[in-house]
This record gives sequence, C-alpha cells and structure tokens, in this order.
Amino acid sequence: MAVQLSEGAIEGLIKGKEVTNPVLQLINIRKLDSGNGPVRFRLMMSDGLYTMSSFMLATPLNSLAEQNLVAPNCVCLLKKSVTNVLKDGRTVVIILDLEVIKPADQVPGKIGDPTPYVEGQSKPPQSAPAPAAPAPRLLQPQNSGSMNRGSARDFGKKPMTAPSTPGGTSKVVPIASLNPYQSKWTIRARVTNKSAIRTWSNSRGDGKLFSIEIVDESGEIRVTGFNQEVDKFYSLIEQGKVYYFSKGTLKIANKQFSSLKNDYEMTLNGESTIIPCDDNHDVPMVQCDFVSIADLDSREKDAILDVIGVCKSVEDVTRITTKNSREVSKRNIQLMDMSGKIIQVTMWGNEAETFDGTGQPILAIKGARLSDFGGRSLSTLYSSTLMINPDIPEAYKLRGWYDKEGHALDGQSMTEMRGGGGGGPTNWKTLADVKNEHLGHGDKADYFTCIGTIVYMRKENCLYQACPSKDCNKKVVDQQNGMFRCEKCDKEFPDFKYRLMLSANIADFGDNQWVTCFQDSAETILGQKSDYIGQLKDSNEASFDEVFQHANFSTFVFRNRVKLETYNDESRIKVTVVEAKPVDHKEYCKRLIMNIRKHAAH
Amino acid sequence: MSGVYEASKPRINASMLPQFASRPVCFIGRVEKVHPTGKSFTLTDGEGKNASVELNDPLEEELSGIVEVLGMVSNKGTIMAAAYHVFREEKGISFDLELYNEALKVINDFPQFYPFK
Repeated sequence: MAVQLSEGAIEGLIKGKEVTNPVLQLINIRKLDSGNGPVRFRLMMSDGLYTMSSFMLATPLNSLAEQNLVAPNCVCLLKKSVTNVLKDGRTVVIILDLEVIKPADQVPGKIGDPTPYVEGQSKPPQSAPAPAAPAPRLLQPQNSGSMNRGSARDFGKKPMTAPSTPGGTSKVVPIASLNPYQSKWTIRARVTNKSAIRTWSNSRGDGKLFSIEIVDESGEIRVTGFNQEVDKFYSLIEQGKVYYFSKGTLKIANKQFSSLKNDYEMTLNGESTIIPCDDNHDVPMVQCDFVSIADLDSREKDAILDVIGVCKSVEDVTRITTKNSREVSKRNIQLMDMSGKIIQVTMWGNEAETFDGTGQPILAIKGARLSDFGGRSLSTLYSSTLMINPDIPEAYKLRGWYDKEGHALDGQSMTEMRGGGGGGPTNWKTLADVKNEHLGHGDKADYFTCIGTIVYMRKENCLYQACPSKDCNKKVVDQQNGMFRCEKCDKEFPDFKYRLMLSANIADFGDNQWVTCFQDSAETILGQKSDYIGQLKDSNEASFDEVFQHANFSTFVFRNRVKLETYNDESRIKVTVVEAKPVDHKEYCKRLIMNIRKHAAH
Repeated sequence: MSGVYEASKPRINASMLPQFASRPVCFIGRVEKVHPTGKSFTLTDGEGKNASVELNDPLEEELSGIVEVLGMVSNKGTIMAAAYHVFREEKGISFDLELYNEALKVINDFPQFYPFK
C-alpha cells in the first residue's frame, strides 16, 4: 500500500481544527438533485480510522465527479475545506479544492478498517453530536451560499492562528462574513463600546443585560449578553481591548437599538466564549462615519449617527427628574466642525458628570441620536461612544483647522438657544438685520445676540415692589396700611423687595431698538443691585439719577429674545434681554476681522 | 517734527515701514531692548519683526511692555519718535499685539474702506 491516509484527520475536520492537506479515501459518492438548486455531490470519506459521510463537494468541483475522476476508492488530497456546523448541531465539511492523488482504478479497495465516526466516542462532546447517518436535508442551498461567502473573503493572506481555546477552535473569520446559518466561527475584534448593566422587570420576570460593540477590519456588530452571560463576561470585557469571540447566536439586528452597519447582531449564549487577544495591532479602533454638522439639517429625526467636532463650550451639569421619576445628570455642550456650524449635544448620567471640556478638546461621538428639539440637537444614548481627542486623522485635521481659523469663527448654531441658559453658541445679528430679517415673526420666538450701546433708559417705573418670599417675584399690592399683599402667595407682608424692569433703547452703527431688561440684565447694565437702586430712589434722587447717567452710552453684548406680540389688535415686536454681558473686545475684534475677511472673499 | 501731531498717522507694522519713509506713523510694539544711551530702543510688532525708535532726548523712565510711538519714518526705516505712550496691563487685560497686527493688515488690505493714508 503506497498511500498513507491522514489518520485522525476526520475528527480534526469535524472539530474545526486546522488540518493541513489531509489525505483521505473516498468510500462513496452520491449525487443529490435538489429541485431548483444546482446538483450537489455528497461524499463519504475515510481517513483510515473513521469514515464520515457529511462531506460535500463545492459546486465548482462537480465536474470532477461528473467525469468520474472522483470515484469510490480513489485517494484525495483535501487542499481546502470549510467546516460548518448547522443549527441542529450536525457538521458538514465542504470541500473547496481537492486533488486526486491516486485514481480509483489504481486502488484495490478500502484502505484499513475505518468505522463510522461518532462524535463523543473518543473525546467529551463539544457540541451536539454529528450523526453519521445521511441526512438529505444537509443539502440546503444556503450552505453553499455561506460557504462561498466565507471563502470569497479568504483571510489566507493574513494567516490568523486559531486560538487554542476550548470551544473556539474554528478559524478566525471576518465579522462581515457572520450570518445566522453558520455557527462555527471565531472572530477577532476590538470592543469599541461597552454598556453599563441594565436591568428589567416586567410581568414575565426580571433580568439584566449588557451590550458591547465590536469591530474588526471587515465591519462591526453589536453583541448582547443576558443574565448568566452578564455574570460570566461583563467584568472580563474592557472597552478598547481585542478578544476572540465564538459561538454566539446571530439574529437580524433590531435597528431601533443599534446604529451599527450590520444586518445581524449577536446574542451570547451558554456556549459562547470570549477570550482576550494580546496581539491586536492590526485590529482597527472604532469605525466612525462622521456626518458634517451642517448636514444634520437634512437628516431624519431620531437618526443615529456619528459626529466629530471641537467642544466650543460646556454648560454646567444639571440634575433633572425623568418621567419615571428617576433623577439623572445632564450636561449640554456645543460642538463645532469645519462646516462652521454648531450643534448642541446633551450628555447624560456619568458622562455628563465626568466630562471635562477644558482646552476645547476634539470630541467624537459614535451613535448619537439626532433630535429636532430646538431646531436640531444631539443626544447621547447608552450605546453612544464618546472619545475625547481620539487618535484618528479626522481629529487632527479638525484640531489644525480650529487652532488656525476655526476659533475665530462665530459658528452658526443648528440649535435654537433656550432662554436663561448660560454661554452657548450665538446668533449674531445687527439691529438692522433683526428688522430686515423679520426676526420674531414666526410661531416661535427668535433669539439673537448683538453688540449694543445704551442710548436711553426709562428711569420711571423701572422698579416695582415684589413679593419678598424666596422665588416669588410677583408684584405686591400696597394695602396702604403698611402691609403688602401678594396675590400669588395669598399672603400679606410687612415689606417687599425692589425688582427691576428696565426699558432701554440700545443702538449699534445701523439701527436702534427698544428692549426690556429684567432683574439680572438690568443690574448688569446699571452696575448696581436692585435693592440699592430702590433705596436711592426713595432717599437720594440725585444719586439715583447718577446711576442711570453712569450707565448711559455703555456698551454690552446683549442676548435677546424677539417675538411679535399683539395687544388690542396692534402688533409690535417685543425684544427682551435674556443676558447682558460686558464686551470681550478681543473676541469681538477677532469676529470682526473674520467677518471682514469672509466678506472680502466673496 | 511738530507736523506729526497735526498730520494723520497711519497705523503700520514693521514690514510696512519702507513704504512710509518720511511720513508720520503710529507704531505699537513690545519693547525688545533699550540702548544704553537711552536715546533709542527696539520694538517688536505682532509678527515678531523689529523696528528701531530714535528719541531726541534720552528716556527718563524704564521702558517695558507695550508702547505706542508717534513719529516720522526716516529714510533708514527707523522711527524718529515725537511722542510715546506706555500701555499698562491694567485689570489683567493685556494688549494682544497679534490681533492688532491682524487689524493692521485689514486696514492695509482695504484702503478703499480705511482711507487713512
């Protein structure tokens, strides 16, 4: 007997081990007509020790069988094969390339005394046993489909050693090749996002889950683990690290919860394994598909997308109570990119509390949700990944742009500013712009910021007597008996506090405008506290006048709310100062120079 | 030298000095070094270029920080100062020479809007 069969190769193939060029003898071959699909050949092979009948010939090799080159008793060299485990646990070895090294007519008969291979007879079972009995259903065309896909994305050029780990002995495949019809695979991928553990409780019971997002050079996928898998894997997995994953259950992705570019998602099950991989330099970091902030206008509400921008300004953390009365931290920041547009991003929970925006870092967000709240704004989700100054080319490009020219740019906000909020993006207008562009004529109030100089103030009626209780600023009624009554609190008080409501006329180089300033902005303009001004009014009219005289012709940055209001059939534009700030001349100069250069370029 | 006060004095930086020979100018820069005689000193503009300033009378004070000089540009490209003024860094607000230089460039680039020459 000149030919030596590769004893033990069949067991190796079934277990998905790498078996290099095994020599096997063909015992039997059967043609299977599968209705509309192509003709397939099913082979029983022997390695001298065992026989196994679940070999399939890949359709391109059909000619070998049709020409009777592959015939019973011939000895073949398997140059390339793929082991698939079907959902029900049966194993199929698909032969992609083989060479007949000894034709059937030169082999006298069966070599050795092989017995049908039954998984589990020599080793403890790893999965459901692969039956030796023929099963015609093996011929589902999907097998060939998935097999072909697997081989088309052949990873042979970059030899990946299969991890020698229990249950994960199959070949490393790209994420893009995963599908629900193949279950024996290992992927090598980086964890780009790891959620916190979330719990649920409903009529059907309660439980917990977590999810991660993983990426390799071919694509990305979301992986979710429930209950036991949370206990088993949660503490093991670290964001940013690379792992081998195998034996997860694949299903169609629920796009409502995921923005990843994959039709499938993975659920961990009892057999899943996740093993750290140390050699990970070739596995890419997060994959992002950044959308320009200017383009957010044209995107659908609730779209999940990736953005990158300079963190122009950061608001303080606030605590709010959600609908289901949970208290949560929230923080708004303003992101600007090279489109010159700014968008407000709301962060929640721990991210809101720990975010550090000092030094105007570059912030990349993967998987933020677009909202139409206040025009356009973004909100982070549990599944969002925030990266500060990420090590990616986009970030360096943006940094360069911002430091060179972007910092001097106003940036136009996609988010309408809400009243009261602190420093945010600004919608700079001249007073003439406000009139010419009919700001405030829409359904909602408009907000704008201008540089204005006080040219006149109405001293009369600029103070009113307000309820002295904390947080109530309602005007009180003088009972003329030393008591003051607040309708809102339904109480009488022996005193009141003075509050300001100042009507002022502000002007810039092109126009002027009547505006109303309440307490804080009026105090800023007058440079005095309202109670002191009230005191002067009652005691020292000359000093009172002086306060106003002093404030005249001072210049401020005004942030204003403008709205068309109708009284007695008469409509007029009402402008209310939301905030008055001293002019930052440096900032103002930079903006003017930038605008001049911008105009000159057109 | 008396003409300096009455004439208009375009604001310039060091690289514009040659164009303004024998004309009155206004120059702002940071004091780089003062000559031991006290009769001249060097200013650095917002681009980091130097201009030398010559005085009729020796300085009577120590000069440092940002200084504005009014004077006539000599044929050598030095500024014959008629007056100078030291900008004190008050209230922590410092004079931004680079920004000032950007403004100078705007003025120089668009003479149709800034007809100061």
